[in-house]
Amino acid sequence: MRYALCEKMLQQIIALIIIAFFLARLFWQKQKKQIGANEFIFWLIFWLLAAGAIIVLKWIDKLVANLGFSGSGIDILIYIAIVILFYFIFRLRLRLEKIEKDITKIIRKISLDDKK
Amino acid sequence: MKIFCIIPAYNEAKTITGVINKAKPLVSKVVVVDDGSIDKTKELAKAQGVKVLSHIINRGQGAALETGNQYALREGADIIIHFDADGQFLAEEINDIIAPIREGTADIVFGSRFLGKKSNMPAFKKYVIIPLAHLVNKIFTGSNLTDPQNGFRALSKKAAEKIKIEQDGMAHNTEIISKAFGSGLKIKEIPVTVIYHDFGQRFSGGLKIIKDLILARIIN
Repeated sequence: MRYALCEKMLQQIIALIIIAFFLARLFWQKQKKQIGANEFIFWLIFWLLAAGAIIVLKWIDKLVANLGFSGSGIDILIYIAIVILFYFIFRLRLRLEKIEKDITKIIRKISLDDKK
Repeated sequence: MKIFCIIPAYNEAKTITGVINKAKPLVSKVVVVDDGSIDKTKELAKAQGVKVLSHIINRGQGAALETGNQYALREGADIIIHFDADGQFLAEEINDIIAPIREGTADIVFGSRFLGKKSNMPAFKKYVIIPLAHLVNKIFTGSNLTDPQNGFRALSKKAAEKIKIEQDGMAHNTEIISKAFGSGLKIKEIPVTVIYHDFGQRFSGGLKIIKDLILARIIN
């Protein structure tokens, strides 16, 4: 039991170190003006939530077990992450469709306005 | 009556000259919409002395037809014909396809390969792809046209004003049918000849059409 606890804590610490690295990189990119304010805020919140979820992982485990779920807290987080990913991909595809249609409008205007 | 023949073309240098010259005598104006061809389609079309609209980037047949429609309406067209650039259609049948509109018995006329005229269609197409296309068309438009993927059609000015083609790709065929039935236009189907030099649209093309139609339903 003790060994398992240590292993899990080690994983959490490593994960938090990695997140800290990404956060540092994020601030550095904002400094260098490589990303806009919106992007920065988005990823800042994302990494903070990820770090938060990892810190309260034990609590999530308990919550999930109380709801009658057989998996661990990490499993739930992964499932939620996948659902969110699919949702983002869906929104991206809709956005791409809109962009394609806008491109056609421009191309059409060029062709119809051409006096040659 | 001002009759415009819209010929959407993408890399059809081999056949475009012949198609233009066969259609020219039968209509008031031929309009070629060059959809970003990388061969000499545009130059060859211009050399025939017809109006050529040019998409600098390829957008798809639906997009090309909508550009042609908008141009024709702007120029005062009474009847607009859609005619493929690959030599699969017979120009003589232009008279047949505009007849119902001329007589006032239809606002839009669709050509069909399956109303009696013989064809040399590949077997896989005839017995697998076409029946599936029928089913898809029935699901998305509720109509029972016998040849929903046929690009040979004629629209009256009224029909062209009511039907704005928003599908840039091959799903435009289904879209036009759907909008025609939805706008209460008088619809007619006539037999036309289609000559097969090669296979044409494949099954994978069909899948892309279904995807485009579903996406359109979700967005709207």
